[in-house]
Amino acid sequence: MNKLALSAAVAATLGLASNSFADGPIDGTIYGKINVSVVNTDQNSSDKWKLNSNASRLGVKGKTKITDGLYAVYKAEFEMCVDDGDCKGQTFTQRNIMGGIRGSFGTVWAGKHDSPTKLAQKKIDLFNDLEGDIKNTFEGENRVSNIIAYTSPTVSGFSGTVAMIPGEGADVDGDGIDDTGLTDGMSYSLSYSKDNLYLALASDKDVDSQDLVRMVMQYKIDNLKLGAMFQQNEDNQGTKDESGYFVSAAYKIDKTTLKAQYGFIEDDVDGDEEETLSLGADYKLSKNTKAYIFYTDNTDSEVDSSDDEDSSFGVGMEHKF
Amino acid sequence: MNSTDTKPGYGVAVISAMLLSGAASSSCDFDTDDADGPDFLDKIIECEKQQSSRDNSEGGSKASSSVEVTKLYGEGSLTASGIVERPVAAPGTLSHYAKKSFVARQPYSLRPDAKFEESVTIAIQKLHLEMAHYCARGWDIQRQWTEANSQQQGDFFLHYQFRCTET
Repeated sequence: MNKLALSAAVAATLGLASNSFADGPIDGTIYGKINVSVVNTDQNSSDKWKLNSNASRLGVKGKTKITDGLYAVYKAEFEMCVDDGDCKGQTFTQRNIMGGIRGSFGTVWAGKHDSPTKLAQKKIDLFNDLEGDIKNTFEGENRVSNIIAYTSPTVSGFSGTVAMIPGEGADVDGDGIDDTGLTDGMSYSLSYSKDNLYLALASDKDVDSQDLVRMVMQYKIDNLKLGAMFQQNEDNQGTKDESGYFVSAAYKIDKTTLKAQYGFIEDDVDGDEEETLSLGADYKLSKNTKAYIFYTDNTDSEVDSSDDEDSSFGVGMEHKF
Repeated sequence: MNSTDTKPGYGVAVISAMLLSGAASSSCDFDTDDADGPDFLDKIIECEKQQSSRDNSEGGSKASSSVEVTKLYGEGSLTASGIVERPVAAPGTLSHYAKKSFVARQPYSLRPDAKFEESVTIAIQKLHLEMAHYCARGWDIQRQWTEANSQQQGDFFLHYQFRCTET
């Protein structure tokens, strides 16, 4: 069976299944966004223009009631590259994919997914998916394969997630021995949310070869949204021991949101430093569509070496559906 | 199993399946970025419940006891028309609970001898005061329905289920 026929067969089968067995409304929603920007990047005095896709995506998510208070929950999200159609040689690449069971006890879920530490960052990164994305400066922004997690119910504003990541034979802790256990990597988060305040404490152990602790705060005062993050991480080879901070602010004036963020991290092992600074503005064209401009400067300073400076400015649009 | 990127053919198959399976009913207020948030599980559950609620409502069904809403009235019944179950909003107490859902109700009477204060007009006015109290920056009325007051023929309760706007 060729790929087209296979596609049609799968589509027809799932369509039939949905229509034949669904009791009431179909429990699923397609969602996604297109986020494209025209960017000029200047890397060490060499500049170029490019069109970026910025993690444009297509997903489906939903829940299905099993019994009263017990649900199957699922989400499957794929990145699509609207700039050139080439996502690392693929048409679509996998983003967060998970399935789980949710009840009054909380949710047990598994898949390939952002770690609890990455999720705990919430949305303090105001230039997410752009050149100023904090993943370009800070460790801990990991989408992890083979994650098995439990998320507690929210009680008095508190919620926690603990995740296990089996090594499946890889040497995740760098001790020269293949890891085959259930908890070779671990990621945790505890958050508190009430009214306009959000606080989170998160930690990774042997995730992406790092041990990491992260604290996140977000506070909203009328039209002003403030974010802050403190992080300490070290790799399990002993070659990196970083600590740093990140702050962001967004101020909304009618349809315009002014944004700024700054991050700094220093490696205590070799003295290297990394900085990120981004400024920008969003203009809301409709509920689901915005245009934006930004400027980002990422600097990587190494001891006994000249700075590696990467600055960008761009204009783009994002449409969510 | 170690992860690999999705192969093009299978990716196309999955997306085709999603589009053709009838799952494409994206009328709920789920923000795409909510899928990557720390409370993404809550958002999925909440959004799909709202979707079910809308579907039920559109189908003429009474509705959606499963929606996570906060009741703004007690279980006490009225012995006479016109008694307000809950004080209406006082000036200066306005606040906004973004994306939270509530159910409020107010009594009214259709009895021929009902007073003006017991009219449905006044009930609606009081409901709007309550909605403004909890959703100072705006709201969306998700459902409205009426139940008879079993203790007094001709008396009813008008219910509004509403949700505060996102911003």
